[in-house]
Amino acid sequence: MKQNKHWQSFGELNNSEAHQNAAKDEFREELPFEGKENGGFFKTETPRRDFLKYLGFSTAAAALAASCEIPVRKAIPFANKPEDIVPGVADYYATTFVQDGDVVSVLAKVRDGRPIKIEGNDLSPITEGGTSARVQASVLELYDTHRLRFPTMGIGNDAKEITLEAADKSIAAELAALGGAPVVILTSTINSPTTLDAINQFIAKYPGSRHVVYDAVSHTGMLLANEATYGKRAIPSYHFENAKVIVSIGADFLGTWLSPVEFTKQYVKGRKLSQEKPELSRHFHFETVASLTGSNADERYLHRPSETGAIVAALYSAVQGQAVSGVSDAAKEGITKAAKELVANKGAALVVSGSNDVNVQIIVNAINEALQAGGKTIDWSATLNYKAGIDKDFADLVADLNAGKVGALLVHGANPAYSWFDADKVKSGISKVKLAVSFSSRKDETAQLCKYVVPDHHFLESWGDAEPKTGFYSFMQPTINPLFKTRQWQDSLLKWSGAATNYSTAFKTYWTAKLGGDNSWETALQNGVATANGVTAKPAKADTLAHAVAQMAAPAGTGSAFNAGGVAAAVSAAGGKKGSGKVEVVLYQKVAIGAGQGAANPWLQEMPDPVTKATWDNYVIVSPALAKTLLNIDLAIPGQADAYEVNPPKKLVKVTVNGKSVTLPALIIPGTEANTIGIAVGYGRAKEVGAAAVTDEGDVVGQNAFPLTSLNGSAVQFYGDGDITVDGGTFPIALSQTHSLYTTPQGTRTEVMKELTLNQFKKKPDQILEEREHEMKPFGGLENFEKQGTIYPVYDKPGIHWGMSIDLNSCVGCGACVVACNAENNIPVVGKREVSRFHDMHWIRIDRYYAGSIDNPTVVFQPMMCQHCDNAPCENVCPVNATNHSSEGLNQMAYNRCIGTKYCANNCPYKVRRFNWADYTGADSFPHNQVGHVSAATLEMNDDLMRMVLNPDVTVRSRGVMEKCSFCVQRLQEGKLKAKKESRPLKSGENGEWDVKTACQQACPANAIVFGNINNSKAAVVAHRTENNDRLFRVIEQIHTLPNVSYLAKVRNRDEEIATEE
Amino acid sequence: MVLNQVTMHLKYESQLREPLVAGVKDYHQVTEDIVRPIEAKPSKLWYIGFFISVACLLFGVYSVYREVTYGIGQWNLNRTIGWGWDITNFVWWVGIGHAGTLISAILLLFRQGWRTGVNRAAEAMTIFAVMCAGQFPIFHMGRVWMAMFVFPYPNTRGPVWPNFNSPLMWDVFAISTYFTVSLLFWYSGLIPDFATVRDRAKTKLRKKLYGIASFGWVGSTKHWQRHEALSLVLAGLATPLVLSVHTIVSMDFATSVIPGWHTTIFPPYFVAGAIFSGFAMTQTLLLVIRKVFGLQDYITMGHIEAMNKVIVLTGSIVGCAYLTELFMGWYSQNKYEGYTFWYSRANLFSPYGWSYWGMMACNVLSPQIFWFRKLRRNIYITFFMSVIVNIGMWFERFVIIVTSLYRDYLPSSWSPYYHPSIWEIGFYVGTFGLFFTCFFLFSKYFPTIAIAEIKYILKVTGENYKEKVGELEMENPDEFAHEYAH
Repeated sequence: MKQNKHWQSFGELNNSEAHQNAAKDEFREELPFEGKENGGFFKTETPRRDFLKYLGFSTAAAALAASCEIPVRKAIPFANKPEDIVPGVADYYATTFVQDGDVVSVLAKVRDGRPIKIEGNDLSPITEGGTSARVQASVLELYDTHRLRFPTMGIGNDAKEITLEAADKSIAAELAALGGAPVVILTSTINSPTTLDAINQFIAKYPGSRHVVYDAVSHTGMLLANEATYGKRAIPSYHFENAKVIVSIGADFLGTWLSPVEFTKQYVKGRKLSQEKPELSRHFHFETVASLTGSNADERYLHRPSETGAIVAALYSAVQGQAVSGVSDAAKEGITKAAKELVANKGAALVVSGSNDVNVQIIVNAINEALQAGGKTIDWSATLNYKAGIDKDFADLVADLNAGKVGALLVHGANPAYSWFDADKVKSGISKVKLAVSFSSRKDETAQLCKYVVPDHHFLESWGDAEPKTGFYSFMQPTINPLFKTRQWQDSLLKWSGAATNYSTAFKTYWTAKLGGDNSWETALQNGVATANGVTAKPAKADTLAHAVAQMAAPAGTGSAFNAGGVAAAVSAAGGKKGSGKVEVVLYQKVAIGAGQGAANPWLQEMPDPVTKATWDNYVIVSPALAKTLLNIDLAIPGQADAYEVNPPKKLVKVTVNGKSVTLPALIIPGTEANTIGIAVGYGRAKEVGAAAVTDEGDVVGQNAFPLTSLNGSAVQFYGDGDITVDGGTFPIALSQTHSLYTTPQGTRTEVMKELTLNQFKKKPDQILEEREHEMKPFGGLENFEKQGTIYPVYDKPGIHWGMSIDLNSCVGCGACVVACNAENNIPVVGKREVSRFHDMHWIRIDRYYAGSIDNPTVVFQPMMCQHCDNAPCENVCPVNATNHSSEGLNQMAYNRCIGTKYCANNCPYKVRRFNWADYTGADSFPHNQVGHVSAATLEMNDDLMRMVLNPDVTVRSRGVMEKCSFCVQRLQEGKLKAKKESRPLKSGENGEWDVKTACQQACPANAIVFGNINNSKAAVVAHRTENNDRLFRVIEQIHTLPNVSYLAKVRNRDEEIATEE
Repeated sequence: MVLNQVTMHLKYESQLREPLVAGVKDYHQVTEDIVRPIEAKPSKLWYIGFFISVACLLFGVYSVYREVTYGIGQWNLNRTIGWGWDITNFVWWVGIGHAGTLISAILLLFRQGWRTGVNRAAEAMTIFAVMCAGQFPIFHMGRVWMAMFVFPYPNTRGPVWPNFNSPLMWDVFAISTYFTVSLLFWYSGLIPDFATVRDRAKTKLRKKLYGIASFGWVGSTKHWQRHEALSLVLAGLATPLVLSVHTIVSMDFATSVIPGWHTTIFPPYFVAGAIFSGFAMTQTLLLVIRKVFGLQDYITMGHIEAMNKVIVLTGSIVGCAYLTELFMGWYSQNKYEGYTFWYSRANLFSPYGWSYWGMMACNVLSPQIFWFRKLRRNIYITFFMSVIVNIGMWFERFVIIVTSLYRDYLPSSWSPYYHPSIWEIGFYVGTFGLFFTCFFLFSKYFPTIAIAEIKYILKVTGENYKEKVGELEMENPDEFAHEYAH
């Protein structure tokens, strides 16, 4: 077929030469290089010039880029890997938290040579793996920038660094030059056998010397009462778990009284409610100012502090079947009721009192004797050795000091210049001593007065032991090389007494001999605990525990003989005592701060107080009734209550006791006796003790309330008649929770919190189930709720599905979980100003709700963290998918994807998401941006030293991103990996074996939190849910978030019924 | 052509319908009137206003600098109130940005001739308001430098896409689309007018700049034909956007679970509110422009009255919505919603009760005065009311956002009182600065009234007819016919 030729140009048609040439060259235009007419890049005149241009530019650019200063953080790998350190794998060392006589056996988690977290030691039969907030926070003190780093000589500004050798030399010389004047070793309670040995050696070397024990908050009354009635100046063991009826008269045994971790463990054993056998212990609490323990009580009665004696005396007569008199009507009712229950449960009843009055404690002993508590709930065969100080001894010492009768004073643990009621006397006394040496690891109030400061190690750097209970020992071993030029104070004592050995050797020798051989010693050290019967050779958990528990839990005999001689006199002395003042002042310890031990710890300062939810300050607790007359605030009027709640500045009041006064803001706390006010001690510390003790304005945090105490004969009295006046100004208080009722004018929010009484539960066990069924009725009822509550398809959730169950009946609200979470998840400290702006970062918080009358309400604590909803409202609103759902049911955050719209936080009905409002952690890429709202305490936490506490497994979040509880995802991964390596399914609590525990669960002294794989039918969390199905609920379940955290309703053993909504 | 003030009316001329342009104008006069401000030197007042605006803008820039450098903590938002002034102002500005497109698009489609007097300024206001609005969602991000994550761009991270379920994501699309279409619409209308300015320009620079801006417009029939077609197409596109943008903004709240946000009534109620506030803002600005540039003949009392009618209509719709919400708060028997609506809002003595009743007073009660013609046609009252309405609409957004958030489900997380920090206020002031800076520049360099469009509705021929033939017509028609026949 002939084809037409199509042509495009005349050139093509004619096939001219020019066209042929043009067609040959596909790229007709030359490349635009210089001298292109010569043809091609390589033939240009100046390719060299171009080349140099490019070279020059790129070199300059690279040099410029490389010379920009980028901070280099050195990470040096081991040249030779130590045998026992695997990077990324933590080691755990058993050791012991010891602080002013408090003892808790713990494990220190050590990563790459740094202790970063404290866990409870499960092998301890006393604490059974429980911890407290203060124990959890103690690891931070190791890295505190305000620790003393070397010995000093000189007072105040004259203090100069000296070497240990120089200190030894000149102190030895000064001791020698005393010329027989007595040396006094002043300490807080010491229950370490080897330390007491060292002290005795020292005293032997310097005849006439003595050891004075001083406790800031002493138990003098109890010790002396026990001496009077049982002939022993000691405190017996208590067994709250054996008590069906507990009556506490002002003893905050879950918070601050003697051994709260131990008592919490015991207490909650009686508070576990089983569906089959719904029985609970019954807890009556008589108190003056709302406390943690009082908040947990079934029945709480309020009285004036001066009435304590009358209350105890009345209870005594009621227990003996006599008429009750001399107390208010409300208290009378309580006493009658309590006495009835106590008598009905003889042998399973316990009365404790927090009073420091000898007479009161004598009567309490008499009551317990009448209730046959000995051998059942009180055990004299093993005494508690936490507090041994007698205030009178110290008062005598102060007199001696001022009289110039003391040659030298060695101070360890005690800080009387701060905590003695007459601190001026202490100061003048110390100035009269020839030689004053402090072993304090901080420049505290007393250390500032001492010529020499030879700082002690932190307990994580120390060897040591403790005997918290007679016959039970807990060991301390170093977990890190000493960070600074410090020395264990026992070493100093030994050195100055001329001993040949150092403390660690003496310690080892002592225990090897006592435990019978090196093997036992090593096992004991590994276990961290031992009993008087020695140690079991095998460190297997169950064995040791069973053995030790058997050893400890069965009290042997009734103990000492009771001498009732002084009781009648005590009753007449105590019963008649009544204050005359209109308002009485009570001084109490806070759970976190104690007598000031926690004041320098940012984590503890920022932990909301369980009762008041306040951080970073002390304040005057006033009752709602007093607020009405004194502050003109009536919480019953919604407008006034709102105004009080929404504004952080609170009115300042001036409180005067015995002519000494403090001016503090007033917080209204329901559950406080109408005319009683409370002030926490432990605040107003010297600025030198730590950044956390100083406000951003440069003032001290809070006010010291110790001067308001007084010495009453042999014991310091923590209450007195006061004079309270409004001072005019206001002062902001950083509260983490402003509203405390789940009742609103539009109805009670029973979907948020469910509680009922034991009687209600017994009568109608499925009341809560019914309530839930009713709430869910519009969405298909409980059964079909998951499916019918949504228009989306419902998916299977195979494999691991994480879930948590929290028993509100066990949770006492102590806050250990809050600090444990801080440590585990690198939660930043934000400081007071930021907390008051509601910028706190805690991933777990404990919500506190009141119910009932405003004057004496019931209190419920509800731990609240990310609920890991399976239908999470936060997830679908994030524009960038930064928060999403894992196949294991975790609601997870991708921090580096987050752009910080805060939409997820808005849409979170639980308000558990936390936003990094400023560069709290110094992790931001912006330099110099830590100004404005970043407080001094936050900056201190960013110090290289403080950063050593950071958990390397958890990202440090930068500014502008959202964060929240991750269910400790790093632990989950570790646990899964461990199970995988061992080729077995993950264990979540079956037969008590755990691959994974979240930090809050592990820290909880009340075992309130259970966590695990809910797809594993044998998991503890599944059992927890199914066995308590009648009490199970999820918070605001009806909005179909399908949370993976469930709660068990609070059941109170209370006569008065809790109103429920039908 | 100099016109005598003809007050007589023709026999068949409507006595009821006011003329859309007052006075007797011819085409040239219109051009003169409107272009005068562009060609004259700006007044002292203009300079003062402009520099105040720039000062506000600079303060805003510094406020934003603080926030970006030191974090959102510079603002007083907190863990319970995650959005405060930022999103309040965002929604407020977006709402204001509604009138312009409504006037230009919907009224164009409905052939409402009166729109031509006001559409240019209203559209400019829309553009600037949306620009201001856009600042807030951008700078309310904690990590604004990662803002591009909201765009679905191809990436090497997996790839990771934005979350198409998120209403914030929808906002990104809705607002950027709205802004683009509004801008195009506005600009396409400006082209013939720029050409007019260009043709009259006396300096080379002016000629060049306006020449570029007018894209070589010569006013040929073809150009006009295309221009008309484009206007209709853009109007068609913009019409659903007027409804969709605020609908989607309302979904930021309506799709959430928070009591007070989780409400199906939001989309229509937000759109009505947006038009309400948009018209009020248009009133505020036009009354000023009208006065300052002497444009009373083009922006007549008729315009003002028409817009006041829209205000009273939309204000009443919004009022109905408020009452419906309250009713539902009670009728649903949902204690969480009940608390939000009846305690946090309707209760004057609750912490934010003032904002709710401020909103009610400004948005629902006060516009009702516009049922009276006399008040509708009073310039001072109109101006005052236009400001009041915008204050009220700001309250509305504040009420919705803050009173819902600050006390939601768990009483434990109820927030302390939220006051804006100086930098939050500064940011808001800064957007005013931005808005008015743009508006001052616009009024100086752009024709503030659509010259070409206003000529459509000018009854020049009618007026000429009146002048020339009117007298004849006044005579006896028979005579007229007779004369004409000759």
